[in-house]
Amino acid sequence: MDPQAVSAASQAVVHTGFALFLDKLYYFIMVPLVYISVIVMIVGIVAKIVSIVRAPIPAFSLKTYPAKKRPFLAALGDTFGMPMIRKEKPLFWFFLMMFHIGIFFLFFGHLDLFPGVNLMPPESRHMIGAGAVGLSVTIPTFYFLFRRFKGQERHISVPSDYLLLLLLLFIFLLGDMISWGNSWTANGFVMTKADFKNYFGILKSFSFVDPRTVLHGSHYHFVVLHVFLAELFMMILPFTKIVHTFFSLPLNLLRRR
Amino acid sequence: MEAATQEALKKLFESKLNKAMRLYLDTCAHCGLCVEACHVYQAMPETKYTPVGRAEVVRKLFKRYFKMQGKIAPWLGEVIELDDKSVNMAYEAAFSCTGCRRCVTVCPFGIDTQQVMNIAKLLLIGAEKQPQILAMLSDMSIAKGETWKETANDYIAALNNLAPEVEALAPTPPGRPAIPIDVENANVLYVGLSGKHSIVPAAAILNAASENWTISHFEAVNFAAWLGDGEKQRLIAKRIIMEAERLKVKEVAVVECGTATRVLKFMTGSHPFRIVSIVELIARYIEQGRIKVKPGTISGTLTYHDPCQLGRNGGVMEEPRYIIGKLTDKFVELTPNKEANWCCGGGGGLISLGEHEFRMKTGKVKVDQMRASKADTICTACENCHTQLTELNEHYGLGMKVESLTNLVAHALTGFGA
Repeated sequence: MDPQAVSAASQAVVHTGFALFLDKLYYFIMVPLVYISVIVMIVGIVAKIVSIVRAPIPAFSLKTYPAKKRPFLAALGDTFGMPMIRKEKPLFWFFLMMFHIGIFFLFFGHLDLFPGVNLMPPESRHMIGAGAVGLSVTIPTFYFLFRRFKGQERHISVPSDYLLLLLLLFIFLLGDMISWGNSWTANGFVMTKADFKNYFGILKSFSFVDPRTVLHGSHYHFVVLHVFLAELFMMILPFTKIVHTFFSLPLNLLRRR
Repeated sequence: MEAATQEALKKLFESKLNKAMRLYLDTCAHCGLCVEACHVYQAMPETKYTPVGRAEVVRKLFKRYFKMQGKIAPWLGEVIELDDKSVNMAYEAAFSCTGCRRCVTVCPFGIDTQQVMNIAKLLLIGAEKQPQILAMLSDMSIAKGETWKETANDYIAALNNLAPEVEALAPTPPGRPAIPIDVENANVLYVGLSGKHSIVPAAAILNAASENWTISHFEAVNFAAWLGDGEKQRLIAKRIIMEAERLKVKEVAVVECGTATRVLKFMTGSHPFRIVSIVELIARYIEQGRIKVKPGTISGTLTYHDPCQLGRNGGVMEEPRYIIGKLTDKFVELTPNKEANWCCGGGGGLISLGEHEFRMKTGKVKVDQMRASKADTICTACENCHTQLTELNEHYGLGMKVESLTNLVAHALTGFGA
């Protein structure tokens, strides 16, 4: 590995009082809460899917016409191409596509941080997209949020719509800062992809080592906040409209079959 | 609202939570795509007249009583309580929706507001706030199913009186009555409505095709489908299904009525006979050369209104155009049409409920389409649409002729005995 890829280690500092409390809180967020939130998300999603699978089947077909020769392919097209949005609101569609493609790359960007996975060259200091992926989700999220402040979108929105978008926005902005902004210091990268890989290594190994030993510098606060908000997102995911991640295809199948 | 009533309504709500409904209620992203797809919103741009606005009434109750969020952070989804106010909101939502399902085609998830409104309608029934006219008409239809034998002779006499009118349009095949009834092993059981306008033209066409057919003792219309009462809807449809089974017919042809066709064709399970719209049957007769129509019987240009339940929700879109193609070469389409066609504003039981002022307002988008077509005549294949288009034509002074497709065909029949 390129030694420059890893930021310089700093001397461990022993804290007391409020600083000690923060250390413990940070540790809880960075390690145990990661596992807890993943478990809550998985259990929540499974429970949600089970509740739907166990519900009675509709007594009749809910499809609309003209019927498609290949309903499954049509539903796939509806789900991933969103042709109805492209036709009705092209700008909204553009941002939706940008956002969802960005999420796809974001997933792989984080997967790349796991030890043994090298979608980007190991010596690269950047994550996938070198910051572009982060922007591709951040900009549309601003659009999604602002469009809810006018017209009927404002009237049909409920507090959870705004809070969810704000949550995403802060996760993305912090992510942008971590993946991109932290390279803007006079000395180059504060934290590099290799540093985050070490952190993911701690999580993967269940060693419960304090991540502070591998993530150094003042950016750590932002990393903790990013991780905390992402945990929050994972834990509420099964209970919010984000479940459309899993249900969009089955829903589109309902109108195609 | 009393606690016992509230509990009963919660149980009714839960009884409707099938797979589709859970998905519909859980997944809406409030993206607003459906807003402008609704003809009611187009005429009266208020949130309560948007598909999402209507569904939110039900969704907020769902969140309140069936989701954790409604218990620990109700403000997040602005949940509402099951009380008199929410029941009134449910009424306005359910009976300002014609169930046209145009919003389904633009929703990225295909959320079916008509289905969600069925929960609202069931809550209204539970709270005894359902429209009494529809409830009464539904009960009358069910009663007819139980007592039809008592009135059968009067009905047959009335049918016999229509024979000259049928024969004026097409000769009756030798050895058969103009309007046969109770014919066992007939090929076609035709189910009309209560007026002769739904019987005479269809009888002429069936006779012109030399079809071995029989007429139903019942009318096709299913008021309970608009009322949202699943059990009554089943009972009303069952009368016709049992009659078709009793007579061992091969096919049931339903009068120009979108809702009746959709209910019978798609919501009654599988049967040993086919169920088709009369429009499909006419198209088949023309295609097979069993009937002939003479072009040029319609003066000026003709346009066609796709009934929502027959077109977008029933798949009968090409057949009417095929028939019209044989009747005239001066056909112009409404824009948009077929699956994207605007509802006329008469569906969902609104015609039976009266609601003239509301229907005239919400039919504005259809009126704009009719005007833009510059057609002299508009035809359709649904009784409700026909009534609504006629009233819109008069109200807005469009000066068009409004026709039923079956009637146009019946008056263009030719080539008998050829």
